[in-house]
Amino acid sequence: MTPAHRTSGLSRRHFALGLPSALLTSGCAAPHQGTGRPGDPIVLTLLSHYASGVLKEALQAPVDEWNDSHDRVKVRTKAVEFTDLLTTFMVRQAAGQGADILHPYCLWNGQLVQAGVLRPAPREHAEEITRGYSEAAVDAASVGGKVYGYPTEVQTYALYYNKRLLREAGIDGPPRTWRELEETAYRTARRDRYGNTLVQGFGLSTADDSTTVGQTLALLNAAGGRFVSEDGRSTTIDSPAGRAVFELEHRLVDRGASAPGVNVYKAFRSGQVAMVVSGGWWTGSLKALMGKDYRDVGVAPLPLPEADGKRATLSTGFMLGVNAASKHPRAAWEFLRWLNAEKVIVKRAMKGGTATRMSSLQVSAGSLTGRADDMRTLLGSHSDANLGPFLDALAYSVPEPNVPGAQQAKSLLRKNIEALWTGQQSVDQALRTTRRQVDREVARSW
Amino acid sequence: MVNVDALTPATTERAAPGTRSAGTAVDGRARARRRQAVVAYLFLAPSLLFFAVFLILPLGFALLLSMSRWAGFDLGGIQPVGLDNFTGLFADGSTFLAPILTNTLLFALGTVVLALAGSVVVTTCIDNLRFQGLWRTLYFLPIVTTVVAVGNVWKYMYEPGGLVNGVLNALGFASVAFLQDPATALPSVVVVHAWASVGSAILVLTAGLKSIPESYYEAAALDGAGPVTVFWKITLPLLRPSLLLVCVTQLISGLQSFALIIVMTKGGPGDATNVAALEMYRQAFSYGHWGPASAAAFVLFVVVLVITLVQLWIFRRKGEDA
Repeated sequence: MTPAHRTSGLSRRHFALGLPSALLTSGCAAPHQGTGRPGDPIVLTLLSHYASGVLKEALQAPVDEWNDSHDRVKVRTKAVEFTDLLTTFMVRQAAGQGADILHPYCLWNGQLVQAGVLRPAPREHAEEITRGYSEAAVDAASVGGKVYGYPTEVQTYALYYNKRLLREAGIDGPPRTWRELEETAYRTARRDRYGNTLVQGFGLSTADDSTTVGQTLALLNAAGGRFVSEDGRSTTIDSPAGRAVFELEHRLVDRGASAPGVNVYKAFRSGQVAMVVSGGWWTGSLKALMGKDYRDVGVAPLPLPEADGKRATLSTGFMLGVNAASKHPRAAWEFLRWLNAEKVIVKRAMKGGTATRMSSLQVSAGSLTGRADDMRTLLGSHSDANLGPFLDALAYSVPEPNVPGAQQAKSLLRKNIEALWTGQQSVDQALRTTRRQVDREVARSW
Repeated sequence: MVNVDALTPATTERAAPGTRSAGTAVDGRARARRRQAVVAYLFLAPSLLFFAVFLILPLGFALLLSMSRWAGFDLGGIQPVGLDNFTGLFADGSTFLAPILTNTLLFALGTVVLALAGSVVVTTCIDNLRFQGLWRTLYFLPIVTTVVAVGNVWKYMYEPGGLVNGVLNALGFASVAFLQDPATALPSVVVVHAWASVGSAILVLTAGLKSIPESYYEAAALDGAGPVTVFWKITLPLLRPSLLLVCVTQLISGLQSFALIIVMTKGGPGDATNVAALEMYRQAFSYGHWGPASAAAFVLFVVVLVITLVQLWIFRRKGEDA
């Protein structure tokens, strides 16, 4: 190397030494939290799964509004895909880098509370939450009787059906009982001569936990059953209601009306599924993806085993809570109250109509919130009629159990449902195995 | 190469005690050796430190966790439970031994057999073709492609209306639910993992093939040996060191693999494709059960160690070193 080279700026050696050092330094550096002193505002981090598309933009809008109108406390959003959310919570918390505000799926609340990640809501916030939200939403955001956060989106489950496919099969309307559901499924299902499914009568899918388990639990609730016992320490799936659901699904697969190998999310929007049970969030997605074919989509309350039975379905949800390790919990709760409890005038609602920023955010993204009053204000009379059954279901839905070990119990249930669908287990075996495995694993989590 | 045995007596003779100068020389050499040792350790220190921080400490921590109950965040929350986590893995009703560990072994063995057979055939064929670099590059491409991409592409190909079933239908066969049927799910993933592993195996085997002296083949040709005889009697035996390396590395990678499975089947349907590494990942990062996850990791470690030692022993008995 010539002297001229050595003196001209950054040499290769310096660069080679400097780069790893810089990376190491930046990697080890904790995010700037701020002190709250004048000129150095508190910076709260909010970790969510609103990582892309409509949801990301919808969340950023009120956050920007807060940052523009508040000098002392600023909020910075961080997002990961939903499939990585729990893992990210766990890893960041273990590394001492947990966000101030967390946006967990309510199913994980028991696990996160037990691990000391979530901070109970202060009394005034807990009272506001209990007063302002539906019972299912409050239950989902609570563990052991304590409220841990503001419910955000709340999803209830209902029956999606394709009007065109039902009409072509000579069926007037959606089924109201399980007998009608089966008949409709068998009449609409079609396969080609190679065994490929052309139309599933009733969509059963192994696409993910939420689809596989969600539809089974919704049917279980509709049959008057529960997945987890009152005390949360064991499962009650091995019951007459559980048996009825497993037998129904087994028959549908066995007689060719359902093809669990097909991705139901894609197949339904392609007109290859006549009926499927899913959450309310799907309407927004279907509307965007199906274009004019969306007019064939109808939503009805979940069919019941008997026509005169008591309505029930599953509800799932998310909430916004504060990390137990946050250095600025008061500021974090204040931001959450501003976002979730403070009502502001909504432009597109009736004159003078008010709703929380979070409710507006959810509805703009085609979702529901646990605040029924906000929903009615925001939806108005010109809203999508398909949202109606989901909104009605808020009154009678059963929240997904969120006891410690709930995620594992859900995974175990999914495995056994899949084993039932694929003929690895009989109904009896699937019920027994689920009970034995879930009881054992859930007990270990307490 | 220096013959150490030949040098030793002379060294001993020079170091014989009895004279002052001889003693000083011995002391000097000892000091020099100590200095060399210190310098050697100094050079080794960074890598030893690296191993201590990133291997020994985590290993010790994992051993501690394997005998504890811990939710993952607060070190003060570690509760000793003795061997409960290990006994839990093999308790009645646990799925760890069957099907999880069984799947792990089948997955690894299936991958090794397919990848080894495939790479031997492909390497031998390529060796007889023009543009060898091009063919090797083509077969190596899956290695530089991310597992997620490989898994997703194959997943779509395996789907009921996918490419593979399309070909089967065109040939007049009924569709196969490759990833949805518990009987075909694991073999279907094994095929993909083996396909993705063939590239690296080909590189190793090519190096082995090139090191076989050409004179052996010339002698065989003079003796009138056919291509099959040459392959079985010359190529395959002389490839044994390379085959051992491929076999050991593929088996270890197969036993530890889970990324492809999580992309293609998530361990399903049921537990049909669940493997030990995937179960460990879920226990620790999804359920917060660090104790059972660490216990499972140690069991897998022992399995990998035993299988590797057995492989080395078998190949050594056949006269080859690793």
